[in-house]
Amino acid sequence: MPDPKPESPLPVAVFHILIALADRDRHGYSIMQDVAARTEGRVQLSAGTLYSSIRRMLEQGLIEELAESPDPSSTDERRRYYRLTRFGRRAAVAEVARLNSLLQQARATGLVPGA
Amino acid sequence: MPCAKAIYRALLLCYPAAFRHEYGDQMLLMFAEQMGEARRRDGRFEQAALWLHAAFDALTIAPKEHGHVILQDLRYALRTMAAHSGFAAVAILSLALGIGANTAIFSLWNGVLRSPLPAVYKPEQLVILSNPDESGMWSGTWNGLRNFLTYSEFEQLRDHADSFSSVMAAQSSLTNWQVRFDSGEWEEARGRLVSGGFFQALGVGPAIGRTFTSADDTATPIAVISYDYWQRRFGGSPAVLGKAFTLRKTIFTIIGVAPHGFIGETSGQQPDVWLPLRMQPNVFPGRDWLHDAPPAKTMWLHVFGRLKPGVSPAQAEAQSNAIFKAGLESFYGAGASGERRHELLDQRLKIHPGAGGASATRHDFSTSLNALLAAVAVLLLIACANLANLLMARGAVRRPEMALRLSLGASRGRLIRQLVTESLALAAIGGLAGLGAAYFLHGALVRMMAESDPRFQMSFALDPEVLAFAVATTLAAALLFGVLPAWQVTNTDAGASLKEQSRGARGSHAQIRWGRFLVCLQLALSLPLLVGAGLLARTLYNLQRADLGFPAEHLLLVRIDTREAGYDTARRDNLLRDLLGEFKQIPGVRAASFSHLGLFSGGESGLGIEVEGYTAKGANDRDSALDLVGPSYFATLGVPIVLGREILESDDAAGPKVSVINEAFAQRFFAGRNPIGMRITSSNNDRRTTYQIVGVAKNARTQTLRGNIEPRFFVPAEQPPLHENNPTFLIRTTPGTASVRTAVRRSIQQVDAALPILSARSIEEQIAPLLAQDRTTAQFAVVFGCVALTLAAVGLYGVLSYGIARRTGEIAVRIALGAHPRRVIAMILGETMGLVAAGLALGAGLAYAASIPIGSRLYGVAPQDPLTLALATGLLLLVALIAAYLPAHRASRLDPMIALRQE
Repeated sequence: MPDPKPESPLPVAVFHILIALADRDRHGYSIMQDVAARTEGRVQLSAGTLYSSIRRMLEQGLIEELAESPDPSSTDERRRYYRLTRFGRRAAVAEVARLNSLLQQARATGLVPGA
Repeated sequence: MPCAKAIYRALLLCYPAAFRHEYGDQMLLMFAEQMGEARRRDGRFEQAALWLHAAFDALTIAPKEHGHVILQDLRYALRTMAAHSGFAAVAILSLALGIGANTAIFSLWNGVLRSPLPAVYKPEQLVILSNPDESGMWSGTWNGLRNFLTYSEFEQLRDHADSFSSVMAAQSSLTNWQVRFDSGEWEEARGRLVSGGFFQALGVGPAIGRTFTSADDTATPIAVISYDYWQRRFGGSPAVLGKAFTLRKTIFTIIGVAPHGFIGETSGQQPDVWLPLRMQPNVFPGRDWLHDAPPAKTMWLHVFGRLKPGVSPAQAEAQSNAIFKAGLESFYGAGASGERRHELLDQRLKIHPGAGGASATRHDFSTSLNALLAAVAVLLLIACANLANLLMARGAVRRPEMALRLSLGASRGRLIRQLVTESLALAAIGGLAGLGAAYFLHGALVRMMAESDPRFQMSFALDPEVLAFAVATTLAAALLFGVLPAWQVTNTDAGASLKEQSRGARGSHAQIRWGRFLVCLQLALSLPLLVGAGLLARTLYNLQRADLGFPAEHLLLVRIDTREAGYDTARRDNLLRDLLGEFKQIPGVRAASFSHLGLFSGGESGLGIEVEGYTAKGANDRDSALDLVGPSYFATLGVPIVLGREILESDDAAGPKVSVINEAFAQRFFAGRNPIGMRITSSNNDRRTTYQIVGVAKNARTQTLRGNIEPRFFVPAEQPPLHENNPTFLIRTTPGTASVRTAVRRSIQQVDAALPILSARSIEEQIAPLLAQDRTTAQFAVVFGCVALTLAAVGLYGVLSYGIARRTGEIAVRIALGAHPRRVIAMILGETMGLVAAGLALGAGLAYAASIPIGSRLYGVAPQDPLTLALATGLLLLVALIAAYLPAHRASRLDPMIALRQE
């Protein structure tokens, strides 16, 4: 089945979740904590926003749910873990490229100082 | 903590069940962890923020999730529809028809019977002092409740009734005028005369220019035109102000345009132009309707008042009647005394709610519209029952799918929700198509109504009430046909159903039971529709063939306006004699005469009488209908004279006064006596005229098709006991009235080129409008009856086919064991007939109940006519038999080997 095209631009919450899952598989609470840590607390995903986004990302095939916990030492079986799919990774990279080109355009016009 | 968790769990209830089921635990876990951490840090602010977030999510994310589920269901529903396009087409078509018919008839029903006057300020404050259901004119004296008021009565109320903040009057009938702009062609414009306070009392300002004010209660030739006429005739140009047009011989100037949508005080009519009441002598020349000479009054106005705040209708009625009575007393003065005076003063006004305005059609059409509305509601019910049945039969096919989804963890509520969404989507598409159907149906309905009242006009407006009705009907239909099948289809034990599937049997006994019940209901509902259609069709048939008492063909009716042309009595008698002479010369004319009342003209005239040798039984037993007729009136019409002679040419102004009575008159006043030679004395106000009866004519219907034939006496037109009307010529032709019609017009032109011809119609054309409403109602009823019959047949066929498919095994075994195909058919038909009999029995009861309210519209057939009931039942039975025979026949031809192998 050909991958569907990712939405563009990606909703902020979705992009944050993709980034959080980029280096490792995480459960919901861990995603929330990671996003908060990376943004120094500026982005606080609520449970509703997080799981509504996860539901949508699962349907779109951006992420997948793991059958069992990747951390054998974890004792909490209630946790559900998510992993970035190949399509999800592509969508995140495309979004980075989009933002990057936007940034370059802003620099070219002198809106922000260049690197 | 447990308390916080409970609250959060309650908040989770805002989310769709499926979402909650999937993520609720995770969200609760996450919320608890966040809360725990906040507490550890002792961050009260942080805790409050968490709660705020949770509440905010419930308000924003939860509805989004619901939207997502609905969208998903809708997408699924559309896919299902596309996959079963045949079923979807049938469903949408029947819903479009059902919802469309309901919306169209509701819109008309609402517009005619319930809607307030459009564009009028606070219509609920308006009251009508005249009879809103009547239009026309009456001159002479009156008894009892008044239909119309005279001009001076209006003036008295306007000037003295302080219960009202304003009082206005309007001509009760709408007139077609010939008008001419500049030196263009004469063209038709509809309009009415209104008082100066007309627009102010209705609370209406101008679109452009100005409207009349109370200062315009003078004979100034000015006009206000309607917005619609302004757009239609003048393309909405502001240059219309100051434009002049000629009407009769007067030049009127347009001073303003009424606002958009405003039609005035009468619902169902759309005047083009309003003129001041005081211009009456110019607009209707030769007549004075503004002044009355005792004891005759010219009653022709509808009078409306706007109640002052805090004044009750009863108070206003008492005050109006006091003013009205005082006016009557001073009008009749001391001239009349004793009982006569008492009779003259016996008149009253009644206040009617005025929000809906006056309407000549409302009263006439209310029975038909109510009946039609009930009929289309029943039709929609039948269509819903049919769809429910089809959905259930289709649902049986989908049972394995449902069972599979249930076993995979979907909740039953979720599946019902999805199935109902499918029904809703079907209904919504059907409803949208229904609005289109309603537009066309409404147009057809209005055209048919206009057949019986040419002035009736009403456009289809998708106003909030009609829209709300359409939406409510659509929703109700979706729930009616969607919920039961959804409940049935998902009512399945997953494992059992999956196993059942593998054995080839489909559906459950409950499903069959429900299907049979629905078919029974359909048959029961169809019968009253068919019976109603039968009764109305027979009424129409009877009316069309009603025995008038004379041959109702090859008869031309030509009405001329001698008053407008300025003829006095003596000159007029000569004119009529000359014209009769001319007409008789025309080839193809067999006989000619005239009558002042004409035939089926909608008018009536009557007088107080004293009959020789008859003692009146009370005040209501002293009058009779009459007509003033020309020589050979009865011979021309073809009404036999049973005793004595008819009216002759020698019965002129100089001859002895004579009269011919009808049998009804003879029966009422001369029961058993010979009337020939007896005397009738008529009293018109204080003028008494005595006639000697010279003949008795057979009863004939000359004014109404329904009801009893009234006692009537006929006197020669040259010996009138009262003011004459404009005469109608009755011209009997040999076959082919068309050429005679032209020749008659030419003769009139030759005798007096200035003599207006008001109408020239064949008797059939004259009667057609009287039958239009019956024809309309009957046509609709027959169409609805046929649709009901078709739906019932489809329903029965569907249920039986499905039931037989389920029993394939059993039937195959019977055949294998040697059952004859005919016995198989008999068995299935036998089982079906029980169902049909139950439906028909219930239907007969419903038909009986339904026939009572339409009783008043029937003619020559009893509401509980056994023949109609028998025919309708027979027809339904026949259709049911055919619908049942087809699947039964198919079953009887089963090859047992193949069928059992499939099992």
